[in-house]
Amino acid sequence: MDFIRNFPCFSIMLCLFAGIISSGVKGRTARWINIVLLTTVTILSACTLFYTLSTGESFVYVMGKFPAPWGNEIRAGVLEAGMALFFCIIMLLSLLGGQHKLIAEVEENKIFLYYVLTNLLLSSLLALVYTNDMFTAYVFVEINTISACGLIMIRQVGRTIEAAVRYMIMSLLGSGLLLLGLCMLYDLTGHLLMSNMKESIAAIVAQGEYTIPLIVAIALMTVGLCIKCALFPFHAWLPDAYGYSTVSSAAMLSSLVSKGYIFLLIKIIYRVVGFDIFNNTRIIDVLFVFGLMGMIFGSLSAIKENDIRRMIAFSSVAQIGYIYMGFGMGTQYGMVASVFHILSHAATKSLLFIAVIGLTDVSGGSRKFIELTGSAYRNKWAGVTFTVGSLSMVGVPLFSGFISKLLFAQAAVQVDGKMLPALIVLGISTILNAIYFMKTVIRIYTPVEETSYPSVTFKDMKLYAIVLVFFIILNIILGISSQPIVDMIEQGLAMFA
Amino acid sequence: MYLILLSIFFPVLAGTCLLIKKEAADRRSLLITTGICFVLTGVLVSATLLTAYGTGFTLFYLTQSLPVCFGVDAMSVIFSAMTMIIFLCAGFFSFEYMKHETKEKRYYGYYLIVFGVLNALCFAGNLITFYLFFEMLTLTSMPLVLHNGSREAIMAGLKYLFYSLCGAYAALFGIYFIHKYSDSLSFTAGGVLTSSAMTEHAGLLLIVAFVMILGFGVKAGMFPMHAWLPAAHPVAPAPASAVLSAVIVKAGILAIVRLVYYIFGVSFLQGSWVQTAWLVLTLTTVFMGSMLAYREKILKKRLAYSTVSQLSYILFGLAVMDAGSVTGGLLHVLAHGFIKSALFLCAGAIIYTTGKTRVDELRGIGKEMPLTMWCYTIVSLGLIGIPPTGGFVSKWYLATGSLHSSIPVFSWLGPVILLVSALLTAGYLLPLTIQGFFPGADYDYEHFKKREPSRLMTIPLVILTVLSVLVGLFPTPVIDYLTQIVSTIL
Amino acid sequence: MIILVILLPFIAGILVPLLPFKKRSHWEIFLECAVILNSILVWYLMLHHSDSTFVLAHFTGDLNISFRVDGLSMVFAGLVSALWPFATLYAFEYMTKEEHEKIFFLFYTMTYGVTLGIALAANLLTMYFFYELLTLVTVPLVMHTLTREAILASRKYLYYSLGGAAFAFLGLIMIIVYGTTNNFILGGVLDPARIGDKTNVLLLIYVIAFMGFGVKAAVCPFNSWLPQAGVAPTPVTALLHAVAVVKSGAFAIIRLTYYSFGTDFLRGTWAQTTVMIIVMFTIVYGCSRAVKETHLKRRLAYSTISNLSYILFGAVIMTPLGLVGALSHLIIHAVMKISSFFCAGAIIHQTERNYVHELDGMGYKMPCVFGVFTVSALALMGVPGLAGFISKWNLASAAVESGNTVAYFGIVCLLISALLTAIYMLTIVVRAFFPGKDFDYSTLEGVKDPNWKMLAPLFVFTFFIILFGVYSQPLVDFFYDVAAGLY
Repeated sequence: MDFIRNFPCFSIMLCLFAGIISSGVKGRTARWINIVLLTTVTILSACTLFYTLSTGESFVYVMGKFPAPWGNEIRAGVLEAGMALFFCIIMLLSLLGGQHKLIAEVEENKIFLYYVLTNLLLSSLLALVYTNDMFTAYVFVEINTISACGLIMIRQVGRTIEAAVRYMIMSLLGSGLLLLGLCMLYDLTGHLLMSNMKESIAAIVAQGEYTIPLIVAIALMTVGLCIKCALFPFHAWLPDAYGYSTVSSAAMLSSLVSKGYIFLLIKIIYRVVGFDIFNNTRIIDVLFVFGLMGMIFGSLSAIKENDIRRMIAFSSVAQIGYIYMGFGMGTQYGMVASVFHILSHAATKSLLFIAVIGLTDVSGGSRKFIELTGSAYRNKWAGVTFTVGSLSMVGVPLFSGFISKLLFAQAAVQVDGKMLPALIVLGISTILNAIYFMKTVIRIYTPVEETSYPSVTFKDMKLYAIVLVFFIILNIILGISSQPIVDMIEQGLAMFA
Repeated sequence: MYLILLSIFFPVLAGTCLLIKKEAADRRSLLITTGICFVLTGVLVSATLLTAYGTGFTLFYLTQSLPVCFGVDAMSVIFSAMTMIIFLCAGFFSFEYMKHETKEKRYYGYYLIVFGVLNALCFAGNLITFYLFFEMLTLTSMPLVLHNGSREAIMAGLKYLFYSLCGAYAALFGIYFIHKYSDSLSFTAGGVLTSSAMTEHAGLLLIVAFVMILGFGVKAGMFPMHAWLPAAHPVAPAPASAVLSAVIVKAGILAIVRLVYYIFGVSFLQGSWVQTAWLVLTLTTVFMGSMLAYREKILKKRLAYSTVSQLSYILFGLAVMDAGSVTGGLLHVLAHGFIKSALFLCAGAIIYTTGKTRVDELRGIGKEMPLTMWCYTIVSLGLIGIPPTGGFVSKWYLATGSLHSSIPVFSWLGPVILLVSALLTAGYLLPLTIQGFFPGADYDYEHFKKREPSRLMTIPLVILTVLSVLVGLFPTPVIDYLTQIVSTIL
Repeated sequence: MIILVILLPFIAGILVPLLPFKKRSHWEIFLECAVILNSILVWYLMLHHSDSTFVLAHFTGDLNISFRVDGLSMVFAGLVSALWPFATLYAFEYMTKEEHEKIFFLFYTMTYGVTLGIALAANLLTMYFFYELLTLVTVPLVMHTLTREAILASRKYLYYSLGGAAFAFLGLIMIIVYGTTNNFILGGVLDPARIGDKTNVLLLIYVIAFMGFGVKAAVCPFNSWLPQAGVAPTPVTALLHAVAVVKSGAFAIIRLTYYSFGTDFLRGTWAQTTVMIIVMFTIVYGCSRAVKETHLKRRLAYSTISNLSYILFGAVIMTPLGLVGALSHLIIHAVMKISSFFCAGAIIHQTERNYVHELDGMGYKMPCVFGVFTVSALALMGVPGLAGFISKWNLASAAVESGNTVAYFGIVCLLISALLTAIYMLTIVVRAFFPGKDFDYSTLEGVKDPNWKMLAPLFVFTFFIILFGVYSQPLVDFFYDVAAGLY
């Protein structure tokens, strides 16, 4: 079974090649290539996951023949493989679910470009997940940024261009900070491979030298990544970017791209800096506070929003806040909760975006709440799905959101000083979530006397409906049988160290 | 046992049947039915008092520790005998009086029910049974108050209801505590509190006692919760006012007697701050009631204020806790019962025949209705306390008892206030007599005509007047009986 | 078996819109049979209960969804299953005037299952799960009329309930982390070894969780959803907002207090005092608002608010006797309030009059309804001889017995509330029976008592009000056994 060790590298390469090939074909073909690619990578990642689970340890794949500390490495453990698998599934579902919208919104001769960008995005995500080399990581961060910009901009209406530019500027600022931090660390340690860097940093800390530069470097990298994944208060770019791009892009951006960066941050915390050293800096307190504020202010902005897509976008800000709150607790439990929430939020948020598109389609394309009244009756599938997503967001048991909440709360109780603020904000945030999601659910289930908008049935949207069902199943799986997943996350984090 | 139950439930059931029954076209048959019920109830009660004296039994259990039980003791005899007499008299009086009111069936229905409930109160064997029927009394007597259906009457009825319930709940508050700190809730001369509770929780129990006295005092029109009485009594039909003012308020007195002498026990309350506070309240009420009556122009209201004042005579006697004063108080229960019902029936007769309600409209009434006014005058003298009427004897006992007691200040202040109040009583009752019999020179004898009401009205009136005089003329058997009771409870 | 009683209502409910019933009466019979069958099953389950726990599914770690029949479950499940068939019968008649009946009955019946889920839950997590679910299945019922008012009410209901659950959730977490197990065990499951110096934090979380569950039990200041939710059809207001939903809140608090945190841990602490004061305030507040309210159903809703806090008052006395008081009022209030709500529903159904001042003189036109209403009013006041007195007696004697000074003031609150109850209930009765002498009866032309489907439940409830009033011994003994942990 050792050939499975090649799979991570192979899947990254496959994505890159698929991107290149797609650029020479027509839209339809590109789409098929993309679907085949995603399926393949899903299978490959699944194999890797089983392999790591069965061996019980991670493995390192050396690129070329250069051994550490010079060469470039790929490293795969349970967490990485699992994450890759999950990303692929979400991406597949998002693309399939948003496909009809894509065809409608993007010029026909540019559709192939969309798939090129998607393939590149996937390759960069996989690379971020798998790489064991900081510089490689940086490179793919940039690829990621660029492809994400393309995904926003490909639907050419005024707002998307503006949004893409904003996204680009903020993202580049983030990558710049990341690069600065990286340079400083390289300066301090002389390495770029994560495992080597960690050793050197441990040594430096043990000697008590370079404390401030080290903290500055860590801070720079953290802030850089925070900007890129729109942690409050760096979230200004997000609503437009998620709100106006074509729906698949929004789903992927919110559930995958930002999660890729967060995953990178986790890697930095565990594999570069070291969990304990990171926790000993004050940075986690800052993250904790920003996380809490994000939870509140994100939701507050969402409540004020009158546009359903932007509302969901703001909800992302709140959810990212949850994840950072988990980081901020500085415990293993907090980390597990955060990682679980990455999965849970990715699954739920893409579900919401896809469901919303069904609702807006039967409301004349308008995303204003007033127009959406009763839309759940016109598109029953989307209505139910949106309800499921909302309930999950609010944290009703049976759905994935509840488990995240449970894990976060359990983690919070373990941390003395942060327990009460975390628990209380968790409570308040749930209420706020309930307010805007439930308001929407009630709105879409409020019938209107007469409407000019048509209803759709299963026949009109087979693919879409099936995707929705898959999303619901995914959410419920996360919500009911969470124990194996949590175990896997714990195992994966243990492999990190 | 069956007699007791029958004397309680027969009138209640009979009343309920009357209420449910379809409106009969024939007034006569209604009166006959009702009359038979009255007589039967009277017979039942008398039989009970004669044969069932000293017996008691438990009917059923509300919860494990709350038996509903009945018994007949000396105190029951006093109150239930008085109740029966006044109820029957006023009942027959109303046969005539109710001609000029509507919805007679409803009136008699509730009248009977209240009769039964009052019997139950007299025969109640423990506090919880007493409380049960105390609430029933409030609820069932309210329709009598708001009988005529005018807005004023309905408001007065509701006022009565809420004041009474307020009092009842204050009492209930205490019952909860007594239940914990006593062996049982049954009425036992000398009190039921456990000796350990009396020493360890004295402070709490005193508060409880005070709250309960205030609570039951509402029914007896004790200051500061007296305001319902002058509102509620006058608006009812006159015979109903008579029983309200003479009997139903006595339920409050009975409650306090039972509470102070049979639950807490004299030894616990004597000399405590509760006694002092209670005395203050009763004397305030005595004086204030008289003053208000003096200023009132409407006859029935004046009588109602008088009730407020007179009831607190009784309460004063009870609060002094001296053998003489308690005897006086209990005697005044009887005396005031007869006198006040007679007074209200007089007022009823006057209203029935002349339709006039204000005192100053009644000049020369003595010439028109001499029998009624003679009754009025005689019982008024009794209420003022002029010998040899019933009121004199009871007040004598009240005053001597008070002077005999060792309570500082109040032992002499009490009699002084009683005396002042007696003067005021003369001041508010006698003008009607004077105006009635001596209308003055400018009275128009031209339109004068005799209009004495029918016998159905005058006979009950005369009976009550005679009774009130008898209590004063031959008080000895009653006083002996009362002294006997008092010796057991003090 | 135990899962069957929870699922059966779901299945029956879903089948109503799905199966091709030809006539209205067909699915009515089907549904009524299903509900009665389920109630029989519940009673069977209670009579033959075993101590075993039925585990349905494992969540994370040792958290599982499991069910068990213990004393407290028997009280609540027994109550719910006894009332539901009557309420359904009543609803059939009432809903003839409303639309979308099938959808209504779908959710109405599902609620039965969910409420049983709460009653039979063996641990806090399961209860929490059904607690959330209860909110969700009842929202469509509140929304039913789909007027703007109904939508606003259901929104508010949803926010309040979900928000409350979010805070109740914190209590759940505490029990998971600091408890030896999260199963319900009388006396609490907190592990003293794990608490250490965190007592105050735990107490704080208890108060927060109390308020969280308290939202459903309409504790002040989280009670404004309840009167607003009165826009729902009367069977909903009667059964859900006087019994099932709000009692679930009270039930959850009892579970939290007696079976999770444990009374030994809480008694005598500042947390107890805090919640007690809140509860006492609610008792008086609810009543005074009821006095001010002129809309009949809203008045009853405020009355419910106050009476729910009676239950909670018993619960926060935190003695076995307190639990007895709470349970007595849980059962007895349910019967009394459902009876008075059904009267209100009957009035609305027959005359479409909603306000108290429109009820003048109706006592003579609808003697049965107003007779029943009078009985329930007197019972709510706590007149001895009717059921309300028994529960108040139990509550108050528990308060006296506890020796807690704050609880003494609680008794005062109970009595003030009783007085206010008299005011707001008896004014209706007086209006109906004594409209005043110049009242024009011609305005009530054609008003009459409703048919037997509506009256039958009313008489049954009245019978029980009187029965429990004069003979409550077996019931109260059973509560004593429950409080002693004998089941």
